[in-house]
Amino acid sequence: MAFSERHIENIARALTTWFDKENRELSRAIEQTVDENLFSLEDIKHQILSLKHTISKETLKKWVADSHVETISREDKNVLCLHAGNVPLVGIQDLIAVLLRNGTYIGKLSRKDPYLMASLLRHLAGHGLVEEDLWSVTPESLKPVRADALLFAGSEQSAGPVKEKLTQLGLIGEDTPSLMRTAGFSMAYIEDESSETYQDLTEAIFRYGGAGCRSVAIVVSPFPLRKVQCGFTDYIESFWLANPPHHKVSESVPYRFALNKALGIDQAWLDHFLMEESGEISGEKHIVHWIQGDLDRVEEIIRKMGSRLQSVYSTADYIGRRVGERIIEPLSLAQMPPIWWKPDNLNTLVWLKDHGI
Amino acid sequence: MNDPTALSDITFCPELSFEEKVIRVLNFQLKENPVYRTFYETLIGQKQPPEDILEIPLLPIRAFSVRKIVAGTLDTKSTPLIFKSSGTSGSRRSTHVVADPALYERSVVKEFYRHFPSDQYTLISALPGYRDNPNSSLVHMIRHLIQQDPLSRMILQFDPEVLQGIEKIAAAGKKWILFGAAFGLLDLIEQGLPEFSTPPEIIETGGMKTYRREISKGDLRNRLSEAFQISSKYVHSEYGMCELLSQMYAIGSEWFGAPPWVQVTIRNPDNPMELCEPGTEGKIGIIDLANIYSCPFILTDDRGVMREDGKFRVLGRWNQDDLRGCNFLIDRD
Repeated sequence: MAFSERHIENIARALTTWFDKENRELSRAIEQTVDENLFSLEDIKHQILSLKHTISKETLKKWVADSHVETISREDKNVLCLHAGNVPLVGIQDLIAVLLRNGTYIGKLSRKDPYLMASLLRHLAGHGLVEEDLWSVTPESLKPVRADALLFAGSEQSAGPVKEKLTQLGLIGEDTPSLMRTAGFSMAYIEDESSETYQDLTEAIFRYGGAGCRSVAIVVSPFPLRKVQCGFTDYIESFWLANPPHHKVSESVPYRFALNKALGIDQAWLDHFLMEESGEISGEKHIVHWIQGDLDRVEEIIRKMGSRLQSVYSTADYIGRRVGERIIEPLSLAQMPPIWWKPDNLNTLVWLKDHGI
Repeated sequence: MNDPTALSDITFCPELSFEEKVIRVLNFQLKENPVYRTFYETLIGQKQPPEDILEIPLLPIRAFSVRKIVAGTLDTKSTPLIFKSSGTSGSRRSTHVVADPALYERSVVKEFYRHFPSDQYTLISALPGYRDNPNSSLVHMIRHLIQQDPLSRMILQFDPEVLQGIEKIAAAGKKWILFGAAFGLLDLIEQGLPEFSTPPEIIETGGMKTYRREISKGDLRNRLSEAFQISSKYVHSEYGMCELLSQMYAIGSEWFGAPPWVQVTIRNPDNPMELCEPGTEGKIGIIDLANIYSCPFILTDDRGVMREDGKFRVLGRWNQDDLRGCNFLIDRD
């Protein structure tokens, strides 16, 4: 069946009207989320502005066209989306991809994000794009509708137990196709010390408490940490002033600070984060690794990190350049990605089409 | 106890309680180990040693892959014994300078013979992969144990000579115990096992990721039990690493016990100063008093869980990525 432009326009209209500042449902959802201390107001605002900026009928059409998925199946297909993570409206791209493919969305919402996503889903239900009773915060409360595909983000270790639980609940079968995203963090290569670069780097590292998979946890630069530390700290302080930290620093961070000091590893304590000059990537929360090196070092880290690494960012001179298996993305878009960004380097629309959705 | 040479006697000293030994060793470490002292003082300040030894900070094991961790002055006249990790996990290899090999060897022998007395057991060892690492602590340990018993030996396969040796062990009224790396033992099974005159007991050790695919401890134990036609109560495990000079054994099960000079705890990975309740998974923390001259207070990167009786299971490596990004289990998000 040919893809209907009107279908895309309907989706775009429904989404953009939800983002409208006059939408009282959205305001209420934001208030509830902030009141219950689930996310900071600043992070929610950032995410909503980012989505508002990136979602339009033009961008959705471009995503579909560039993905070469202009045809959709006639059959009704159910897609179960597991929303899990530390970012407001996590998994919204999966939801939009399912709608674009004309699939029936079933959602296990994140416990950290029950209000925003539910508000959006109610709004979409009003536009006839999703069904009212097909989402829940707990998998046990989901209507037992068998999914034809499963979209989720999780660690490789969590994949088995997740699938097992969903199978027990009758939500998926043994052979239900699953798109599992396992990347945990991103990397930036910076070569200049301009104000713009530092601002973008600060945003890329610290937005959402550094907890998203697009958040930068590794910085590669020709400069050593001690050279940039003072100047960089000013930008970080400005960021914290505008975005008061919402997260509590893990007690393991002072532990790591003490060890680094004992081992003579250069480091900077940034109040809510630890930045250290060390090539041994820990994957720990609130730790940023500063690595002195060039693009060869970037390539080496890409190889070493494999599927743990989400994206590699840099500034103008390097955007679009291929390094190893990755194409360098703009640092400025780390926390404001286009709607067609590829989690784990996979285009969700294409994956859905390839699996009959 | 200010003289470091006298410390060697502390580890196995029956007159002192474990806590007394730990406090003495802590004082020595704070005086003689610059890495541990800086770590300790940065974390908890220069206050008096804690009253409860559970409050002593455990040094993350990666310290051994960055610096030589030494307490006291090394004897420069002799070449020190050096252990290095295999580095199979892709990270930097750990180095452990063993300042007092005799202390290490006493620790090895005491704990092994506590479970497998020398008048009852003879050791046969199969460690094919490890022989390529001249600094393997496991190979050193096995060699030392083999030297204690003329019937003991290292093997690559069950050839006729080895089978004759097993018959001699039986004729001497002893049992034979096959000690091997898990993947090496599975390779022996794949090669095809001969019929043994007497069945062995087995001690397996090491991770399972190097063996083509990952296998659970339970599956491994079942396979060993079936292939060697022995009850699983005769399949044991050893837990050790190059950074520790003591070993722990799980006898006939997956639950390890520690020797009297070792204390194992399970630590909250988000706050390693905190202990996990029995049944809760965390990082394995160890105080090993055989490590006097390096660092006895170690926080491993291994995932473990403890029972009420203090026995613990090793569940693999702790994966920090589980706590970052969008990586959450359904019921943990």
